[in-house]
Amino acid sequence: MKLKHVTAEAKLLLIGIPVLLWTMLPIYHLFLFSISPKESAFAGKLWPDHPTLHNFEVVFREQHYYLNHFWLQLWNSLLIAVSVGALTLLVATGAAFAISRLRVKGGRLVMNLALLTYFIPAAFLAVPMYKTMGNYGLLNNQWALILAMITIASPYSIWVLKQASDKLPYELDEAARIDGASPLQLFRLVYVPLMMPSLVAIGTYALLLAWNEYLYAFLLLSNEKQITLGVALGNFLAADDSPWELLMTVGLIYALPPAAIYYAFKRYMVGGLTAGAVKS
Amino acid sequence: MASVSFHDIEKSFGSTKVIHGIGFDIKDGEFMVLVGPSGCGKSTLLRMLAGLEEISAGTIAIDSKVVNDVESKDRDIAMVFQSYALYPHMTVADNMAFSLKLRKADAKTIADRVARAAKILNLDPYLQRYPRELSGGQRQRVAMGRAIVRDPKVFLFDEPLSNLDAKLRVAMRAEIKALHQRLKTTTVYVTHDQVEAMTMADRIVVMHDGRIEQIGTPLDLYDRPDNLFVAQFIGSPAMNIVNGRLRRGGGGAFVEADSGLRWPLGSMAGADGQVVAYGIRPEHLSLAEGGVADAVPAQITVVEPTGAETELLVQAGDSQIVLVTHGRPQVKPGDKIGLRVDPAMVHVFDQATGQRLAA
Ligand SMILES: Nc1ncnc2c1ncn2[C@@H]1O[C@H](COP(=O)(O)OP(=O)(O)OP(=O)(O)O)[C@@H](O)[C@H]1O
Ligand SMILES: [Mg+2]
Repeated sequence: MKLKHVTAEAKLLLIGIPVLLWTMLPIYHLFLFSISPKESAFAGKLWPDHPTLHNFEVVFREQHYYLNHFWLQLWNSLLIAVSVGALTLLVATGAAFAISRLRVKGGRLVMNLALLTYFIPAAFLAVPMYKTMGNYGLLNNQWALILAMITIASPYSIWVLKQASDKLPYELDEAARIDGASPLQLFRLVYVPLMMPSLVAIGTYALLLAWNEYLYAFLLLSNEKQITLGVALGNFLAADDSPWELLMTVGLIYALPPAAIYYAFKRYMVGGLTAGAVKS
Repeated sequence: MASVSFHDIEKSFGSTKVIHGIGFDIKDGEFMVLVGPSGCGKSTLLRMLAGLEEISAGTIAIDSKVVNDVESKDRDIAMVFQSYALYPHMTVADNMAFSLKLRKADAKTIADRVARAAKILNLDPYLQRYPRELSGGQRQRVAMGRAIVRDPKVFLFDEPLSNLDAKLRVAMRAEIKALHQRLKTTTVYVTHDQVEAMTMADRIVVMHDGRIEQIGTPLDLYDRPDNLFVAQFIGSPAMNIVNGRLRRGGGGAFVEADSGLRWPLGSMAGADGQVVAYGIRPEHLSLAEGGVADAVPAQITVVEPTGAETELLVQAGDSQIVLVTHGRPQVKPGDKIGLRVDPAMVHVFDQATGQRLAA
């Protein structure tokens, strides 16, 4: 019995270690570049001869043409990601509550129509979205990106939250109604607290989706004081002699917040995103 | 403190009608039990009273005030659900205080009422716990506590004990009854368990397929069931039923079973030759001690001693008959015996309509 366990674990490790190495390799590269001096960045060594934090200093002090607005762009990324996370939550929670708990007529239909949009790849919708934002005069406005990302994140979020809501016993709502709760009080005092794990998961999902978005950010924003850090990173490649070591440094910095958020909320991510996916 | 009255209540879900015109009154302070087999519409009726379900036709009044269009929260009722429906994210104290907080009661009133309810229900040690940290019986009591802090006009219970094990169910049954005797709040209690109904109710409404079969005190229903359905539903083990024809001749009245056996009658109701169902409760049968005149011949199939009583399953003609005796009769399966019937305790129903023949 015990031996069986050990061999099973060994097999898992046999698969797990190569996968881990495979995924870690690019990240290690990123890290390697960021601590190498410019000259030896392409030396191809496993560890640089003279590791340095100079690159970080350059980045943080905005001491390069491409980095003139580093802090502002980081702030833009953060602002947009947090807004998208918060607003998607607002939209999706309200929708899920209305569909699942208040049982609004036609709610399911609306949800399914929204999900239908996923049949069209987001890349195909980019140009229509660009035109739409143009029509509303929102181009070059960060609201354009925020609204676009909410549009993309919402259907999935509504679906996940609705599945999770459906698992809450309906008798709780009835008990609250008899106790004297209005729909809004029901939402605030009973529904939201009970949905917390799923809400954290969905909020994080939308936030990371926006943080990592490139295509829409690139299309909808162009002024370099408004673009996100992701887009700014892309601009590095416009030059012939791209400062790779700085690109990688910024990339590493850009990758840290999602990793931290994911780590902090991973308990909710796994539980929340799969809630409703299987019968427990 | 309030009376409740149902008047010509009907309920349809889409095109299916599940309640077909129900009307009855509940007196102030009464403990009324709605009982009936699964799917007969008990919960639906209760939920209409609670305001959780639309009323398709008819009126419901609380204290003579029609509440059809009054929202749940304004009906001044409190309900205990089968699943308890406690708020999982609130402590016991907060669960009980929730309705008072929503009604903007002041902190002192809330604290007093919660403390009083906790005392009545022995919940003091658990006030700061969460529902998941309680046993089934304790959760049940919190659900009741949540109802009594409100001091509502009517308590509604929907099968509150069916999630508890048998022993706890008996204990909680007594507790709910004691609570009612103390608070004297009008109560409507739904169950499909006739023992619960018999032991707790002031009066019972027996429902079947969305209609009322009979209303009465527990012993009324037991002693004088209006029809076959009530006769067989109330009482455990259930009443024995033998199908046959009514005969009245020189040797007195009897029912001649389809198998030819003669079952003695006390009452004189019914016409000669009428097709009837003959009903006799297990405890109104006994073993005939040798050569009694009108004993019904039978053969023992199963003997089930429970200690205080012995339950015998016997075959009489083509009927399976159950009889309960207090003693410990020295019989075994296969024995041929005679059944003695207490003729005064016999119930006779018309087979076609199921209605009791007037005495
Ligand atoms: N929301 C609903 N939609 C459609 N039909 C319903 C609905 N609720 C109940 N019914 C039907 O109404 C009938 C009565 O249901 P109800 O829940 O009142 O039965 P009950 O007497 O409480 O039974 P049980 O003892 O099983 O709880 C059933 O046939 C049921 O299928
Ligand atoms: Mg029911």
